[in-house]
Amino acid sequence: MGTLNKHVKIGEPLATADALGRGMIKAAEKNQNIIAVLEDMGFPGLPWFAKNAPDRVIECGIAEANAAAMAAGLAAEGFIPVINSFVFACICRAYNQIRQSILVDRFNVKFIGREGAWGEPGISHNHVEGIGATRVMPNLLIVNPADAVESEKAVQAIMDYIGPVFLRVEASPPPLQIFTPDYPFDIGKAYTVKEGKDATIIATGYMLTEAIRASDLLEKEKIDVRIINMSTIKPLDDEAVIKASEETGAIVTAENASIIGGLGEAVAACLCENAPAPLVRVGVEDEFSQSGRIMKDVDELKTHFAFGAEDLAAAVRECLARRERLHKRMRR
Amino acid sequence: MGHDEKLIKDLEAKTDVVRRNCLTIFDSTQMGHAGGTMSLIELVTALYFHHLKLDPNNCDWPERDRVVLSKAHCCEAIYAVLVEIGWLPKDKLNTYYRYGSPFQGHADRWATPGLDYSGGSLGQGLSFANGLALAEKMHMQRKAPTETITRFMPRYISKFNPTYRTYCILGDGECHEGQVWEAAMFANKYRLDNLIAIVDYNKYSLEGPTNEIMPIEPFVDKWKSFGWWVAEVDGHDLRQVLDSLDLAAHLYGDGKPKCIIAHTVKGYGVSFWEEAHTHIGRGEEITRGVEEARKRYGYS
Repeated sequence: MGTLNKHVKIGEPLATADALGRGMIKAAEKNQNIIAVLEDMGFPGLPWFAKNAPDRVIECGIAEANAAAMAAGLAAEGFIPVINSFVFACICRAYNQIRQSILVDRFNVKFIGREGAWGEPGISHNHVEGIGATRVMPNLLIVNPADAVESEKAVQAIMDYIGPVFLRVEASPPPLQIFTPDYPFDIGKAYTVKEGKDATIIATGYMLTEAIRASDLLEKEKIDVRIINMSTIKPLDDEAVIKASEETGAIVTAENASIIGGLGEAVAACLCENAPAPLVRVGVEDEFSQSGRIMKDVDELKTHFAFGAEDLAAAVRECLARRERLHKRMRR
Repeated sequence: MGHDEKLIKDLEAKTDVVRRNCLTIFDSTQMGHAGGTMSLIELVTALYFHHLKLDPNNCDWPERDRVVLSKAHCCEAIYAVLVEIGWLPKDKLNTYYRYGSPFQGHADRWATPGLDYSGGSLGQGLSFANGLALAEKMHMQRKAPTETITRFMPRYISKFNPTYRTYCILGDGECHEGQVWEAAMFANKYRLDNLIAIVDYNKYSLEGPTNEIMPIEPFVDKWKSFGWWVAEVDGHDLRQVLDSLDLAAHLYGDGKPKCIIAHTVKGYGVSFWEEAHTHIGRGEEITRGVEEARKRYGYS
């Protein structure tokens, strides 16, 4: 592994759920106005709420449209309602409620939405359209943390931010432990995990883990890859993208989401307008996911969608080849 | 119950003023949701000029009663009232539908002082009102009762008035939306007795008779079965409207959300619109109506 940034120390894989709950409890202890709005899908840190603040738990049942517009009403009176469910339910089912009742007035409602290509539940729950569906909405921030430490910090940071936020929690294998406890999470700022000069992988969420693994593979081939953690998808940190394009000249994006409307498209727009460079987008192509298992030697969905570390490494090679062809054409 | 005859006379005079303001709005753009607006006038007049707790000098008073206009396409009626209270400039009524105007085509909280809800996408207002009403309960729960109450009037602890009440004005066609009934369940679960829904039951939606497009009857029974207290009134009879509002407010503390079903006539007060069941009027449909009303309400 090349030079890692000082806030990075790679450890064994660790699921993010506990860290998310810890962050949620810390935020709720600090701010009495945080209200847990449930849609019969549980809540991070729910046992703490049940014991210490039962009056701050509002159960709406399986009625997401009402929950979203009701949360807007709570926010109008100074509370900070937090809605937790699958993205297809709390965001996409209540899409127009979010637009009309929350975003138009920029009410301080937070969404913790779970989605991703992985999982056994199948086509309905392995939802990958969340980023694309929400990136088009004005006034909504999209944050997608990459590991346990970042999840814990992100959930607290979005509570301090005044305005609507979609915190994306991924259905994925457990990500590596990447960041040290003093990692400075900042909404809207990309973080360079590893410097590099040959190409850049811009990853969000779980795919940062695969990007780090891909960089190890490429190091053996003497390809020095920069890795950027783009945990805030909207607003995108344009500066980091432009800098990466100017300094490395080849960009690969990686996301556990549809590449249509996702991080890849956001980066593509930024590149085209500011600093064009060859780009390969890795993620779910234009299709739905399905049930799949993660077994000892094979991860069925990772193989199906071809977005593991080997595939990312291949994408980097492809991107470098494209850059080579481009330079040849320009020299002619 | 029972209201002073002078009050009724004064409010009746107010409804004429409010209708005239609506006509100014329609006339300025040759367009507007004439039917649903005219059916609302008595309801909003009774609310804003008598029933609501509000401070005419301060539209941002935190204890002001909240009004959520769920059928936000009929915001013309609210505009016509707010200019009379003085929260909006009356001389700008003719800028309705215009860029940068406080009189936006559909209710917009940012553009219009005194509005509580930006609507337009139907069916969501009652959920939003649930949030406002629940917030009132939660704030109340956190605020300890005063010493006098705890010492001398403990039985009033759950009976005193709420900090503010939330009123939600729904359309009948809007009740086709499933979300209205999600919200109805929620209000019952959280015992939102500080919430009063008013349905402007004018029997017509855009395409035709509401009950032909998708029957909502038995309407009263529906609300009752969802656990609501229900009153049925003639929405153009100020005495009935005022009585039902008073009763609904007075019953605070019984743990039931309140619904007033106001039977109204779409386009009320202008026979041309009443007969045409005008939903949104354009061009000649508006000018003919305005022409007729000009004579009746002394609008020039």
